[in-house]
Amino acid sequence: MLLTNSTFRSLCRARQLLSESTEDSLTIKTIAREIAISHFHFIRQFQAVFGVTPHQFRIQSRLEQASLLLAMGECSVSEVCMAVGFSSLGSFSDLFTRRIGESPRSYQRRARSMVQVPGNYPPLQLFPGCLSLMGSLPASAFRNFQEARPTALR
Amino acid sequence: MRIKLTSIMVDDQDKALDFYTRVLGFQKKHEFPVGEYKWLTVVSPEAPQDTELSLEPNANPAGKTFQKAMFDQKIPLAAFEVTDIEKEYKRLRGLGVVFISEPTKMGPVTLAVMSDTCGNLIQLYQPS
Repeated sequence: MLLTNSTFRSLCRARQLLSESTEDSLTIKTIAREIAISHFHFIRQFQAVFGVTPHQFRIQSRLEQASLLLAMGECSVSEVCMAVGFSSLGSFSDLFTRRIGESPRSYQRRARSMVQVPGNYPPLQLFPGCLSLMGSLPASAFRNFQEARPTALR
Repeated sequence: MRIKLTSIMVDDQDKALDFYTRVLGFQKKHEFPVGEYKWLTVVSPEAPQDTELSLEPNANPAGKTFQKAMFDQKIPLAAFEVTDIEKEYKRLRGLGVVFISEPTKMGPVTLAVMSDTCGNLIQLYQPS
């Protein structure tokens, strides 16, 4: 498949929308409409470019955001669940456990025991939700978390 | 001093191994577990003792941001040399690979750019 410049841009935009979306109302069909590609072609082209379907990508993005929020330890599992766009705590916990290999609570305990988040951030009460908190942090804020995790050789 | 190892960040090592071996045709050289990830390298069957390419897990948020920005700006993060770019282009398209640029002569080389399905754009080039 040879993508035109405009289709490439549209798929990049769709990926951005999917990674930012915490609302189930923003369906895959809605996104396809937003970028002006038919639903069928959108799924097919997205998968061919990014290796996963739009739905799989959105789930992965939400679980990655949830992992970071849990590791920071400022939010409860329920708050993280809602902040990243899951509406059912049970479904979130099941999915998280299957994909990450341990429950959200266990992951949070383990991550918090290894993580030292620097304390020079704006007061937490200025931020209404966990997602806002995550978005406000510089990339360097996650440095200790990444160093503490078992990582591949570099 | 020699360059024997280079790396590329991938969003999923299993998916990457499939793409880089089954689709591109590289061979797995090393695979062993390191914590929750793997030390995973591939080599070209045309030069198995040559440079190894490490398929490195892109778990760092800073790395993800960099990778996404490069992709969105259409900047390839690796380049592989081929002897017949038209033939490779046809072969890879037949396997479902997505190109954003078809073989195009650019000075002393002919270039094409494709997605590796793991978050990167890869440039194929054929020297004149």
